[in-house]
Amino acid sequence: MINVKQLTKNYGDRCAVKNLNFTVKSGEVVGFLGPNGAGKTTTMKIITGFMAASSGQVCIDGDDVYEHPLKVKSKIGYLPETPPVYNDMYVKDYLSFVAKLKGLSKNIIGGNIDYALEQTQLQDVKGRLIKNLSKGFKQRVGIAGALVSKPPILILDEPTVGLDPRQVAEIRKLIIRLRGKHTILLSTHILSEVQAICERVIIINKGEIIAEDSLAVIAKKASVASKFEVDILRKEDELQKTLLNTPGVLEVERNGQKFYIQINPEQLSTESLTKAIVNSGAGLTQFKPSMNYLEKIFINLTTSSDHKEL
Amino acid sequence: MTSILNISMRDFKGLVFTPMFYFIASLCAFLLSYSFVRNLIDFAYSTSASQVAGAVKYSIHQIVVVSHISITNIILIFAVPAITMKLISEEKKTKTYDLLLTSPITSGQIVIGKFLGGLFTSLLLVFISFLYPLALMLFTKIDLGILFSSYLGLSLVCSAYVAIGLFCSSLSSSIIASVIMGVVFNLTLWFLSQGTVYSESDLLVSVMDHLSIGDHLFSFIKGSLKLSSIVYFLSACGLFVFLSGRVVESSRWR
Repeated sequence: MINVKQLTKNYGDRCAVKNLNFTVKSGEVVGFLGPNGAGKTTTMKIITGFMAASSGQVCIDGDDVYEHPLKVKSKIGYLPETPPVYNDMYVKDYLSFVAKLKGLSKNIIGGNIDYALEQTQLQDVKGRLIKNLSKGFKQRVGIAGALVSKPPILILDEPTVGLDPRQVAEIRKLIIRLRGKHTILLSTHILSEVQAICERVIIINKGEIIAEDSLAVIAKKASVASKFEVDILRKEDELQKTLLNTPGVLEVERNGQKFYIQINPEQLSTESLTKAIVNSGAGLTQFKPSMNYLEKIFINLTTSSDHKEL
Repeated sequence: MTSILNISMRDFKGLVFTPMFYFIASLCAFLLSYSFVRNLIDFAYSTSASQVAGAVKYSIHQIVVVSHISITNIILIFAVPAITMKLISEEKKTKTYDLLLTSPITSGQIVIGKFLGGLFTSLLLVFISFLYPLALMLFTKIDLGILFSSYLGLSLVCSAYVAIGLFCSSLSSSIIASVIMGVVFNLTLWFLSQGTVYSESDLLVSVMDHLSIGDHLFSFIKGSLKLSSIVYFLSACGLFVFLSGRVVESSRWR
């Protein structure tokens, strides 16, 4: 559906994006991950036809963005970093304006506006002036604007940035609802978001792709050790000794009856680890994976690519 | 065509239904009322004087309407950039520009839509000015032909100012910068004919005369519809709308 080949963009001497290659298949939800200034927004702007690439090609359904801009743009719904809403318009008028801008015929505009309002749950504020809405609502109006033409492709640039946790959760739910109806390319630098929403991740740093796959595969490739949090009732010292003698255990941190165990998943499976703890008779009460491993993948990947450059 | 109208209607509503426009319109009305009454008094004096001395008689058009139109034109030089400043600058500032550029419309459609939106709004000011001679018709006879040709000229001048304002607005994301550029541009076009004093070359003088807005407007005020003047105004609009289109287009390949 989206096919990016050898994409390069230079701003003067500075290279924002270097030889980017990736494809997004129809119906996929792909996360575009990278630190600030990695080239996410630039790539998205080129895909949407907002600006042209210095070299390389972007094709949507086989049509080149630069050669057939109008045809391609009618297939894309785009939400930039700042939602492109007119503060002096009412929500419903805004959506109708966007629908006409997208070239929809009069008889389907009404239905499409209702669809966009329903998906983004904005029915209650449709008669309100956009200026008076909170940031979260404005963001949703922006998403509704991207949705109103029912485009096959949705491109969302950091849709949850600057929102409070409840609004973030709502936007996430919304994107999950849209899964299957649209092909979604989503950029973010928040890792848990990617984990919650995306099937596939493209990690980009300094304008280059450094990893592209599902999260689990990336974790393996990045050789990030798995970390677990373990609570026990007794025999703390004995357990610590046993664990340290088990091959594949990299590190054991202890805080009273709480253990943080880091293992190398290639040497020791999670199953064998739990077996070892249970067999030690320490009275296992809790065993859960430590959640910050995503951050670790990210930091490992981005810093190692930095080192390569040095 | 529908997308052009869609953009122009949005801009028209966005420009007119703002306190800023009400302020500009009421300021115009205030200035025009002030000068119009003064012109009427002048006219009353000159007619009574001419009865006594049997001097040259001036029509009400020559004294009242001509100076009314000149004052409207001076107001438009400043007011039109204040209206058109928002057309593109504001879109750049609030990032709604991204929406326009990623929609399936050409940059030509965007700028023509914006030009029409700005033009409809600015013509409201011309309409306010038109009410004064119209009110005069309640009390006296006015040559409607000359009146309409004057206002046709004024509308054309207004559309040239709108096109210039649109171009200035496309150059910057700061609305203050676009107003200043617009006013300077308009004044330059207005005062261009003054430069003929410094020039000895006949060719240069006639070029400057042709480029200056003033001479063209005066032919309309005198009641003569010159094709060259109409072409001048239409090509000024065309040129600046085209240039704005290139500026908008340039953000795609910059």
